[in-house]
Amino acid sequence: MKINRRTFNAALAGQALMAAILGRGSSAMALPAGTLTVAQGFDPVSLWPNFSTTQEQINVGSAIVESLFWVDPKTGKTEPVLAESYELTDPKTVKIVLRKGVKYTNGEDFNADAVVNTFKIFTDVKITPAYGRYAAPIDRAEKQDDHTVMLYLKHPYPALHLILSQIFIVPPKYWAEAGGAEGFGRKPIGTGPYVLTEWVRDNRIVMDANAKYWGKVPAGINKLVWRPVPDDTARTNGLLAGEFDIATNIPISAAAQIKAQKGLRVVSVPSYRIFTIGLSNLPEHPGALHDKRVRQALNYAIDKQAILDSLLQGEGRLLSGQILRKEQIGFDPSIKDYPFDPAKAKALLAEAGFPNGLTITFKFPTGRYAQDREVAEAVAGMLAEVGVKAEMVSLEAGEFLRQLSARELAPMGFVGLAPADDPDLQWAQYRSDWRYSYLANPEIDTLIDAGAKEVDPAKRAEIYKKAAQIMHDDASVLFLYQAVDLYGVTDRVKDFLPRGDQRWALYGMSMS
Amino acid sequence: MLGYVIRRILYTLPSLFCILMACFLLTRLSGDPVELFLPIDASEEARQAFREQNGLDRPVVEQFFVFTERAMRGDFGNSLRFQEPAVDLLIERLPATLELALATLALSVIIGIPAGIASAYFRNSPLDFTVRGVTAFGQAVPTFYWGILSIIIFSVWLRWLPSTGSGTIWHLILPATTLASTMLALVTRVMRSTLLETIRQDYVRTARAKGLTEMAVLLHHAVRNALIPVVTVVALQFGVLMGGVIVTETVFAWPGVGRLAIQAIYARDYPVVQAVVFFFAVIFVLSNLAADLLHAVLDPRVRLR
Repeated sequence: MKINRRTFNAALAGQALMAAILGRGSSAMALPAGTLTVAQGFDPVSLWPNFSTTQEQINVGSAIVESLFWVDPKTGKTEPVLAESYELTDPKTVKIVLRKGVKYTNGEDFNADAVVNTFKIFTDVKITPAYGRYAAPIDRAEKQDDHTVMLYLKHPYPALHLILSQIFIVPPKYWAEAGGAEGFGRKPIGTGPYVLTEWVRDNRIVMDANAKYWGKVPAGINKLVWRPVPDDTARTNGLLAGEFDIATNIPISAAAQIKAQKGLRVVSVPSYRIFTIGLSNLPEHPGALHDKRVRQALNYAIDKQAILDSLLQGEGRLLSGQILRKEQIGFDPSIKDYPFDPAKAKALLAEAGFPNGLTITFKFPTGRYAQDREVAEAVAGMLAEVGVKAEMVSLEAGEFLRQLSARELAPMGFVGLAPADDPDLQWAQYRSDWRYSYLANPEIDTLIDAGAKEVDPAKRAEIYKKAAQIMHDDASVLFLYQAVDLYGVTDRVKDFLPRGDQRWALYGMSMS
Repeated sequence: MLGYVIRRILYTLPSLFCILMACFLLTRLSGDPVELFLPIDASEEARQAFREQNGLDRPVVEQFFVFTERAMRGDFGNSLRFQEPAVDLLIERLPATLELALATLALSVIIGIPAGIASAYFRNSPLDFTVRGVTAFGQAVPTFYWGILSIIIFSVWLRWLPSTGSGTIWHLILPATTLASTMLALVTRVMRSTLLETIRQDYVRTARAKGLTEMAVLLHHAVRNALIPVVTVVALQFGVLMGGVIVTETVFAWPGVGRLAIQAIYARDYPVVQAVVFFFAVIFVLSNLAADLLHAVLDPRVRLR
């Protein structure tokens, strides 16, 4: 082909274009200095943290609107934020001392009036339906002076820290001007380390550091960008491509890929989510599971370690025959889970009147938890080995939730439950009158009630240990494992540590 | 012509009403939204308050009539999640979806038509086999797989392009290219097959006999007529694009209507689901209408009916 002017110019333009793409693309996607970019599964519906209990929403909103305290996973303690301290002046009265000299970014003062106003909002079930469980023990809050609030409880409440760390204090005047929850949620004003500068729905939320913050703005983090990326593969790829500093809910299968890449790490956090298989002994679910020997047999039949190693790639912890985690008050280290023993399982089944095995319906969700279908199939396979034929019923996430709370996940249902971090909330799920409990045991009910009111930690622990022993011996559930949450993080992000409920805060974080 | 247009428009109305009824019924079959909106341990008092605030405690028949009456005025109610009008949420995300759909359309047309022409003109040559092979492959591979593959190659490995989000033209390249992989194939194949038909017609032979250059024969006579079915296909595909970008918007985290629809469905956010489904239906019906009208404009024989 003869080279002429047109051909030459075209070739030159092509090369220039290629160079431009290479250069421009690289610079466009480099993580900017001073900006922390977070990719999580969904865009918040509201930036008012108390709008819902969804952690993705609270994590974003709490960068702006602060609570009284923060239960810090780095220290394991309830750390002061907007309040300096709290103390019980009697079992039903709490004195809260507020921090002085704090202002909202619109100039309003943070003071007792703001706190009292916020408690009114928090306890109004029509405004804050999601937190009804935590608001229930509260009678009222009263201002004592500008920086002291008295909180009156209806009854002694051991998990007081859960209330104080989950009530986010809003500016009263602005709340009214903005039109309440809806308006405030769109344009929040807070006392926090960051202010909202941009929210393009389903695309990004941008925040700048609050120049007048009362405390220390995280060093090196001058700007926050929150990106909603629903697909977990896309979040992983974005992290690998250098677009995000933090990617939440990394799938187990992607962890190795992230660890292999220079400049990235995986932060693994034991989750509050406890996985068990409900074995209903409720009167309305008559059947083989009413015999405790059958329930024990099912526990012996399952090789839980194999499930953890193969399906969850070692990411998780086995339960030890109890529903509390080892960090919690009331965890009993002397209780051990049922070991894998198929022969013993068969013997117990025979003793219970099923020498030739039995058939039982097994319901499980698909797409709600990591590896949920795979775990259910593994369990069914192991049950088959001891003569129990499981008729598997797969449920879409929404239907699963409906059946869970309608008490229809019976006789066997695979569930992962993750209440807030307190033994009462964990145990309350198994009280016989709880709306989705599959357990009816009067002894356990009594102990649950006692634990809910006992404020002495040592006595409280004893109560829960007793309950745990009963539940273990009765094999009220098929004990499985505690899950793990995985986060992909760039190395330039320091001191990032989420809690087991997936909440995390910027306090103490920094970026180089 | 005017009569034809009026008749075609009237045919769309029963379709839209049936769609309205269908999307009302379907959303009610998938369960109670309270389960998804409130935490699992929310009190019965809180649940009932939620139902009352959103009208979910009234009889289904009453809900339907209220729904229909308001829908006629463009009011699908407030999103259960966002507590703002569902139509506003839809409109807010419409630009992103339009941008993606139009970019895909542009890519498909700009590349597909020349490729189809070249393939037809050089029939049975290596060029023809190559074009047909590439387009068959492009159409066969699922869109989401193309999406994930292109993210891995161009974002993760080469780091040329952003993998998710929107905001610059660079963000648009991967999603539009991914979507175009199937549409491009369709445009190319239709262009090729109709041009092959056209090029054999008597009037093309006559044009050659007049002594016109090959390029003039090809472009002015053959291609112009062959474009008629292509235009129709493109108009129809626009409707498919507006409604079918859901998977792509999810994989690329593109903040459009499709993604809003997915989120609303999972959250049982009835008002948003209804608004989006109805919107997609309207777009599809309108693109069918546009295809028919374009056909009438381009092909005089249709106008004579």
